Amino acid sequence: MSNNYFNTLPLREQLAQLAKCRFMDISEFPEGVDALKGKKIVVIGCGAQGLNQGLNLRDSGLDVSYTLRAAAIAEKRQSWKNATENGFVVGTYEELIPTADVVLNLTPDKQHTPVVKEIMPLMKKGACLSYSHGFNIVEEGMQIREDLTVIMVAPKCPGSEVRAEYVRGFGVPTLIAVHEDNDPKGEGLALAKAYAVGTGGHKAGVLMSSFIAEVKSDLMGEQTILCGMLQTGSILCFDKMVEEGIDAGYASRLIQYGWETVTEALKYGGVTNMLDRLSNPAKIKAFDLSEELKVIMRPLYNKHQDDIISGHFSKTMMEDWANDDVNLLGWRAETAETNFEKTPAGDVEISEQEFFDNGILMVAMVKAGVELAFETMTAAGIVADSAYYESLHETPLIANTIARKKLYEMNATISDTAEYGCYLYNHACLPLLADFMKDIKTDVIGKGLSTEDNGVDNARLIEVNAALRNHPVEAIGGVLRGHMADMKKIV
Amino acid sequence: MLTTAISIIDAYINFDERFTLNNINWTVEPSQHWVITGTNGSGKSALAAVLGGVGDLESGSIQGIPTNVGLVSFEAQAELIAKELKKDDADIMDVISVGTPVREMIFDDCADPELAQTLIEKFGLTTLLDRAFRKLSTGETRKVMLVRALSSKPDLLVLDEPFDGLDADTLIMLQAHLASIVDTVPMVMVLNRFDEMPDFITHVAYMDKVQLDKKDNKSNTAVGNLALTIDRQDKTAFEDLYQLLHLKTTDLKIPAAGSSNQLPGLDASQPLVRLKGVTIKYEDTVIVDKLNWTIEQGQHWQLSGPNGSGKTCVLSLITGDHPQCYVNDIFVFGFQRGNGESIWQIKQFIGYVSTALQWEYRVSTSCRNVIISGFYDSIGMYSKSTDNQKKTANEWLELLGMRDRADQPFNKLSYGDQRLLLIARAMVKHPPLLILDEPCLGLDDMNRQLVLALIEKICAASETTVLYVNHHAEDKITGIDNYLALKKNN
Repeated sequence: MSNNYFNTLPLREQLAQLAKCRFMDISEFPEGVDALKGKKIVVIGCGAQGLNQGLNLRDSGLDVSYTLRAAAIAEKRQSWKNATENGFVVGTYEELIPTADVVLNLTPDKQHTPVVKEIMPLMKKGACLSYSHGFNIVEEGMQIREDLTVIMVAPKCPGSEVRAEYVRGFGVPTLIAVHEDNDPKGEGLALAKAYAVGTGGHKAGVLMSSFIAEVKSDLMGEQTILCGMLQTGSILCFDKMVEEGIDAGYASRLIQYGWETVTEALKYGGVTNMLDRLSNPAKIKAFDLSEELKVIMRPLYNKHQDDIISGHFSKTMMEDWANDDVNLLGWRAETAETNFEKTPAGDVEISEQEFFDNGILMVAMVKAGVELAFETMTAAGIVADSAYYESLHETPLIANTIARKKLYEMNATISDTAEYGCYLYNHACLPLLADFMKDIKTDVIGKGLSTEDNGVDNARLIEVNAALRNHPVEAIGGVLRGHMADMKKIV
Repeated sequence: MLTTAISIIDAYINFDERFTLNNINWTVEPSQHWVITGTNGSGKSALAAVLGGVGDLESGSIQGIPTNVGLVSFEAQAELIAKELKKDDADIMDVISVGTPVREMIFDDCADPELAQTLIEKFGLTTLLDRAFRKLSTGETRKVMLVRALSSKPDLLVLDEPFDGLDADTLIMLQAHLASIVDTVPMVMVLNRFDEMPDFITHVAYMDKVQLDKKDNKSNTAVGNLALTIDRQDKTAFEDLYQLLHLKTTDLKIPAAGSSNQLPGLDASQPLVRLKGVTIKYEDTVIVDKLNWTIEQGQHWQLSGPNGSGKTCVLSLITGDHPQCYVNDIFVFGFQRGNGESIWQIKQFIGYVSTALQWEYRVSTSCRNVIISGFYDSIGMYSKSTDNQKKTANEWLELLGMRDRADQPFNKLSYGDQRLLLIARAMVKHPPLLILDEPCLGLDDMNRQLVLALIEKICAASETTVLYVNHHAEDKITGIDNYLALKKNN
């Protein structure tokens, strides 16, 4: 069984690695793709990330080809079609890996161990192996041959967006890291930077982090606020509305498209802007609800973070992998049977503002989830920049997937690791919020506040506004969104 | 007073073999007042003259033209003067004829002498009454014609450029007089200047020149076409027409790219584009089969072919947007593709407009930034623009008649206005190659006219090589004489 790398480090080193995260300025990339020019890049895996990153790198003037398992080539599977129809050279591991200067491992997390074990003996001496997620190194403790350089380049968006933004002349925010135990020639950072430039990431902002900070923050974000909170919130809000006599079709639509609409406001101006979209009485209501939610859910967020840091989460999940994914598949089937999932969105018009006015509880849940995830991560030693990207920044991206095809699409889009964590969260959170939900009425989910009680206490409003604006996630968000807004003026 | 509508259906009308009006369909109701407008030589005056009974109807029908039409135009004026001169020549008596005096010209057969007298005073013609008509200046002759027409109790007034050459006071007087008779007689006016259009005008007809096919042996004949008719109540269409006329009738200069936007030089001895035996296929479906195509610098091309013949695929091989450009023999702008060049090194030489681009250009950026983004080949703006670039963009906005919309969000504009801005975006850096992939697709008549007008200006005014894709024959562009027709492969 695997040996958790993080747990082998002394505390001092653990803390130093967790705290590693720096937003790089575009002026730090004057060499462009030079470090990769003329080198042979071989990509393993031709799914959404693999294909789209490869297209970008080739369009940046780099030499890219794909390697697939012999069976995938012989059977002309989708990955083979993706690569050949796009005019790439495709070959088996044996054919291409020995020729590669840089190998990009863009297979799903679960396959990392077998894939890496298979290719490592084939790799050229002194070549570079690149990951887009550090799970294999950090949680599974994969040992990489000493002569190989190991880096990570992780675009913080789905593969299709990585391509679309590049074609527009931009890029997506990207995290880079060097595995310090495997940087024999000291060229890891230069290679990672060139790779980020090749995919266009440097234009949208590059975070220089560590394998450990990436894994521990990524896992935390995806299983709590990003997927878990949205799944639990969808189920609770839907059932409550139906119970209170609201038309099921309306309830379904309000939730399916509501997350996307309210988090769009989050993307532009943080939690503050999301709550500013509400009327003053509704804002105070949402604030109070979220404070209540934070008290109830804080122990759960702490437990998730603790289990991630200690390695307990990855250990239990890997046991499920070894047990044919019994838990994962069972939970997946359960999700498909929830009433929210089974009720199609009704054919009713809901205006943009109505999503806010009638979805006060959803706004409160997003606020509580974002702030709790951020607070828990930073308390665990992860720096604010990282915590911001893994909580607030990605929430709208996940909300978009629910708008497309509800929870099914969300869980299909995210990795199995994220999906597993999402279900864990959901199972713990549903009973935790049972009492809280008893007092919830349609004024905060489904119908909105009645217009009669439009008055607010000035002192209370000032207090609430100050609390919103002074939260640490708003401070770092202001800085990071500022970097983005300078460059990106695009929806 | 006109009681029934004038109705012109499918009419082809000849004027001395020099000019033809093509396929005219037009109805003038008794309650309407029209302005006919359009480019020079598009047949505005000819259409007006048709209402005065001029021209030979070759086919189609014209009905409801009243017998008493008050017609004022340069042509009618010239004819009248010619007649006067003939009288003089024909004089066999041994006295020098002075010709017909103005008084006679006005009061013989005058239906409303009282009105005529009033107008004579208002036009300041009193002192000229005894002068010979043919001795008058052009402006004076014009005034006499106006008095004759207005005092003839016409059933229809046809006034071709009635305000031309009038001093300010007379112009105001005439406009006021016309406004006072709107309820008694329908009017049709030809006007070049949009801002002279009186408030009582209810409809606008827009004329355009037609490009004749070479196979048609009438290459000496100009052809006019009634392209659009617009109800003045339709504010949007009315504003668009204003913009169109602005484009068509102003002496436009394409804004310079600006000194800070110099492209790398190209070797003049090399073609811009050379495709050798290029093939595009998906699984077993061949879209393009062994195509050879060379585009030399300065050689304008039109690419055509049915849907599915691979037009857009071929273009995207040139622009570098098609992934199979890396497995074909493609030479563009000095680069043999697939040798370590980046896609941005290729795109800097290209300006590109297509429906797909417009689809992808879903941004909330300002109209000015959309034009400036052409300098960066990006969708949206991700860099700070320079003052020079802003200046150039402003010149383009001026040219498009959209200066006041510079800071408005692009995605709030009409489809046609967006298309115009994207064409400006494609042209802004004066690219060596401008690719227009069905630039008029999905546009209504008005916007099509606008876009074609703009492209013609661009073709005529700059050093850019144009590659134009279209299968609508009527959208031909003056100046393009190389054609490549793709066939469907299966």
